[in-house]
Amino acid sequence: MAKAFKYGLKGITGFLEPAERELLRSLIDDVISMLQPAEDASQDPLAALIGLDMDVREPTDRAVKRLLPNVMKNDDGASLEFRQLTERSLRETKIGALRAAALDLDKDEVVLTAEGARLWSMALNDVRLVLAERLDIRDEEDAEHVHLMQDWSQAEDVESYLALVYNFATWLQESLVQAMLQSLDSRA
Amino acid sequence: MTLSVALGPDTQEGTRTGTEASTDSLTAPDIPWNLVIWNDPVNLMSYVSYVFQSYFGYAESKANKLMMEVHKKGRSIVAHGSKEQVERHAVAMHGFGLWATVEKATGGPGGNSGKSGGSGQGKGKRG
Repeated sequence: MAKAFKYGLKGITGFLEPAERELLRSLIDDVISMLQPAEDASQDPLAALIGLDMDVREPTDRAVKRLLPNVMKNDDGASLEFRQLTERSLRETKIGALRAAALDLDKDEVVLTAEGARLWSMALNDVRLVLAERLDIRDEEDAEHVHLMQDWSQAEDVESYLALVYNFATWLQESLVQAMLQSLDSRA
Repeated sequence: MTLSVALGPDTQEGTRTGTEASTDSLTAPDIPWNLVIWNDPVNLMSYVSYVFQSYFGYAESKANKLMMEVHKKGRSIVAHGSKEQVERHAVAMHGFGLWATVEKATGGPGGNSGKSGGSGQGKGKRG
């Protein structure tokens, strides 16, 4: 059983069982594969180098759209234009955080610097956003409903299994963020 | 937003790095724009507060107040500045997984015109 993250002399530390690390690694890999931009041979290499992507479109997958939302509420044209300038680097930022977290999953004990913790919290958040879309969490009531699912012996179908995984990721992120907030406090 | 299990306090010494507050000065005669954060049922309340504290350099009380406004009212203006500045903040917020949009400070939807907003220019590390 995992131990909650805590803040102490070594920095922020947590403990994960091998099965939990394996689970997190596969969740992280899933999110990375969703974020990986499609390689397009016709893409202008110079544009790609400076992060431009003129062929980018608003994502059709809801989970991807939640990870890469429109920057303006009521202006799809301006949002798309902004996407062309920024989406590629946003994908790379997210993939970077996810890869960094995956690298820390080699050992049972996870020891994080402040920067490592920040990357972990971003990675766990993206994992949770994707799981929440798969679970169709649309409002606080849906979230409450999923939150009730705590008993692994109840995992009988894909949805209940996903709910348990989501709750595990939520618990882990909450403990991490509490440790991060304590580390902020100690500097205040 | 969602509230999860709170854990006991632990107040040992340690280090903190990675503050991302921007220090850009004002650019040109821009119309003011707002950075809006929208509520969603997934992001943890603690995480949203952490992002406001660590990225914008807001004090805990201000970060929590803005976070609660997002949670209760569905949205909050958390910073304002030039279009360029708030767009940069929006990308950073998307990096953290927060649902952020930008809008013109006047005549924007919702009309929640900046009462709770910050300067939009990060104030650097707290404390």
